[in-house]
Amino acid sequence: MVNTDGQLYTIEGFAAGLIMIMTAYLVVSATSVYTAGDTHISDMQLEQLGSDALKIMATPASTGEISPLQKIIEVTPVGTDNATFGKMFGNLTNSKTGFGTDHIQFIASVSYRNKTDDSVSIYRLNSTRNLAGGEHAVRTTKWVIVNKKLPPSAPFAEDRAVLVEVLMWRD
Amino acid sequence: MARLNDDAQWIILMGFLISFSFFFLALIINQSTVVGQTTAESVIEFPKNDIRDLVGVITTNTSRSNTTVVNSDITVISLHRKNAVVRYSLIQPNPPVDLHSYASIHYNNGVTTYYENWTSL
Repeated sequence: MVNTDGQLYTIEGFAAGLIMIMTAYLVVSATSVYTAGDTHISDMQLEQLGSDALKIMATPASTGEISPLQKIIEVTPVGTDNATFGKMFGNLTNSKTGFGTDHIQFIASVSYRNKTDDSVSIYRLNSTRNLAGGEHAVRTTKWVIVNKKLPPSAPFAEDRAVLVEVLMWRD
Repeated sequence: MARLNDDAQWIILMGFLISFSFFFLALIINQSTVVGQTTAESVIEFPKNDIRDLVGVITTNTSRSNTTVVNSDITVISLHRKNAVVRYSLIQPNPPVDLHSYASIHYNNGVTTYYENWTSL
């Protein structure tokens, strides 16, 4: 014969179990980070930061002058490093409110077109260090019009469009 | 057989209701974790900075001497380095009649297509 004693205790037990599981679930999920780190939010911010910094560098101080970025590219021979770029870009991106600086690393390069065969050459402008395996970088770019011999063997300097590309990452 | 004790059924019902409401709250919190991810991904995917930069460099350099070379530079480098098909044409001002410059800009990176007819001030 089926015994119907203790049905209420069973139901109460289930209710208590549910409440305990839910409480545990809430507590555990509340103390963990809601949005995981691998969600591109920091990438988006880093890319925007780099884009803003390049835009500042590509803006002339006054009408008729050339921008710092254009000057940097024009005075730097193709294939050589330019420390001015690193200093300016580093200052713009690593500044923080208060003391200390941020730890943003970058590799900057310039792409230009070879007029003879429409191939694209790229050379490094400046970098803080090399990108190590496993580090996650974002890319930000800026078009600049420069008056330069591109490629260096070109007979004369003329207005050219080059693309400044910067890989940025935080270590 | 002992009489079934049916006291406090109201309390048990409330216990059930509260348990289930916790369950649905947990579902909502669970869903909220992916909101920031999809937002950031769609922001990154949309080439806002690329398009602004492209339009900026084209429209601020309409009066250069060798616009043909610059045009090829932008077209070729966009394709090679930015995976974007870019075509644009410029119309220079025709002073006595028309003092404006015009640019017709087309951008397509496979995901986003952008077309702009620009007129100088």
